[in-house]
Amino acid sequence: MLRAILKEAWISIASYKLRTFLTMLGIMIGVAAVVMMVSAGQAVQNRITQTFASMGSNLILIGPAELVSGGVRGGRGKPSVTVADVAALKTLKDVETSSYNMGAAVQAVYGSSNYGVSVRGTNPDFLNVNNWEIDDGIMFTDKDVKAAKPYVVIGQTIVDELFGLQNPIGKTLRLKGKPFTVIGTLKAKGDGLMGDDQDNIVIMPSTTLRQRLEGSDRPEFVNIAFVKATSEDKMESVAKRVEYMLRTRHRLKDGVKNDFTVRLMTEMVEKVRSVGFILSALLAAIASISLIVGSIGIMNMMLVSVTERTREIGTRKALGAPNSWIMAQFLAESILISFIGSFIGMVFGVVFSQIGGYIMNYDVPISIWSVIVSVTVAVVVGIVSGLMPALKAMRLNPIDALRYQ
Amino acid sequence: MAENKKVIEVKHVYKTYFMDGGTSQEVLKDINFTITSGEFVAIMGPSGSGKSTMMNILGCLDKPTSGKYILDGYNIDDKDDNELAKIRGKTIGFVFQNFNLMMKRTIADNVSLPLIYQNIGEKERYKRAVEMLKKVGLNGYQNRVPSQISGGMQQRVAIARALINNPAIIFADEPTGNLDSKTSDEIMDLFTELNQQGITIVLVTHEDDVADFATRMIKISDGHKVYDGLRKAYSKEKEIKC
Ligand SMILES: Nc1ncnc2c1ncn2[C@@H]1O[C@H](COP(=O)(O)OP(=O)(O)OP(=O)(O)O)[C@@H](O)[C@H]1O
Ligand SMILES: [Mg+2]
Repeated sequence: MLRAILKEAWISIASYKLRTFLTMLGIMIGVAAVVMMVSAGQAVQNRITQTFASMGSNLILIGPAELVSGGVRGGRGKPSVTVADVAALKTLKDVETSSYNMGAAVQAVYGSSNYGVSVRGTNPDFLNVNNWEIDDGIMFTDKDVKAAKPYVVIGQTIVDELFGLQNPIGKTLRLKGKPFTVIGTLKAKGDGLMGDDQDNIVIMPSTTLRQRLEGSDRPEFVNIAFVKATSEDKMESVAKRVEYMLRTRHRLKDGVKNDFTVRLMTEMVEKVRSVGFILSALLAAIASISLIVGSIGIMNMMLVSVTERTREIGTRKALGAPNSWIMAQFLAESILISFIGSFIGMVFGVVFSQIGGYIMNYDVPISIWSVIVSVTVAVVVGIVSGLMPALKAMRLNPIDALRYQ
Repeated sequence: MAENKKVIEVKHVYKTYFMDGGTSQEVLKDINFTITSGEFVAIMGPSGSGKSTMMNILGCLDKPTSGKYILDGYNIDDKDDNELAKIRGKTIGFVFQNFNLMMKRTIADNVSLPLIYQNIGEKERYKRAVEMLKKVGLNGYQNRVPSQISGGMQQRVAIARALINNPAIIFADEPTGNLDSKTSDEIMDLFTELNQQGITIVLVTHEDDVADFATRMIKISDGHKVYDGLRKAYSKEKEIKC
């Protein structure tokens, strides 16, 4: 019986091709828009997650205290954490390793090429903490740090920009006119969250940075320190220990505010992800307005159809059609329209989001969500917009329907 | 089928239409008659006298305001919409003045439409439609659409559709009203042939030529039955005045 109902419904909508197509178009556009928005949202969220994963997710970041005046955040305080602090943090329980960097933006020169680079002074643990890998050559050692050797390890952008096809290992590049020997290169990481180039990086021993590049003898304060917990679930407890140790080392009395801040990478990931989620939900909500418009289109078409086919309905009833059959047929017609429309819309949505992803160089997932969304939409829209017309058809009195001209 | 079996019993049937605005109109007044299996009855009467109203009640499309109607043993008053639909599908065949065919569907689809509601499969429906078309003289027309054939042929298609369920009775409201006299005679010949095969036929007409094909005549005037007897024996003088 279901087969017969579907077939009758199919033949009916197929006999008004243009009208059916135009009505479907509304649903198609709606579903395609929702699928594209959901895909875009997911692509952005994935990008965020990947970027944080490439930075290392078990990280605890320790930076200068926030300046707060009258409850308003006012930027950053002076660096307070020293290289010695970082070394001490490494001894804490559940800490895998710790590192830090001091940064400077300078012009790097090799031969006739030059390029603005971001220089970090750090220790060998920097690689492990920040998920970097050596591509070629070697990393500097703790000994090199003690001796403030003029060694640098460079990112892929600098390899490309300064050395081109040449092998940079063993070459000497100049920073602020001073010579440094390239002893290693880093594997590429790609763009960061804000589209910043993570591979534009030169790392050198922190001592080298301070003595040779900055030429200062001020205490070894770091811009930012990293502590890597042994696992993600230990991060909270490690963060507490870090805070306790730093307060002790900085001799802060009870009641005195921290002169540093401790942040968990996971918290930051969550924050950014939830913003991303709200954003993509918002986009999907806007897109679904076009779905509502589409379903109004179906309802409108079905109402016209019921009126036009009043005689047909009367005849069917006279010939023995039960009310339930009439209702089922009209409901099936609207569900078929929205189902086919949703399916085509889903295909277009997926195809367009892939093309868009390709053009914008984003990894767009083909998600099960697009399928779930479209099928649900198809059924819900079909039923909702078909119900009123179907009830109208069902309630037609056969005598009035047969008299209708 | 026993010749003397009652298929229709109408007892003290009244029909009143209630219009919006509180007015009402009594269209049928105390109608009584029985029709036995195998009869060929013409219901006649002037325009607006209540013929169609009577037919709608007989065809289970409407219920009397009061009185009793028994069709093929079923008491119609206490049936709900779905039961009435079932009775229409099983025991009644309808032929309408304006054919009421689905113009975009094939003739086979039109003829076999009532079978869908009996849950009969597609192939079987087609087969029976082709057979029924032979019976009404439209052999080979199954795959055409109604717009490709003449009005007389369309009414034959409608008759084939009315016959497809092997109904006990066929109701036809002005079946020749949209046809010229020659085509109308052909359709009436077909009804006569079907009647000779044992099908009970009740038709509404106001043309004497058409009524002549029937054996019995019931005349309604202003909602009252004014004549009920042999068509041949009818004369204006025999009408009961009310
Ligand atoms: N659904 C309805 N609602 C209200 N009044 C109706 C309805 N159907 C018919 N009537 C009225 O009932 C009366 C009888 O109508 P009916 O259609 O039965 O006449 P008829 O004998 O078939 O006439 P005709 O020969 O013109 O077809 C008419 O006055 C008509 O206006
Ligand atoms: Mg009439």
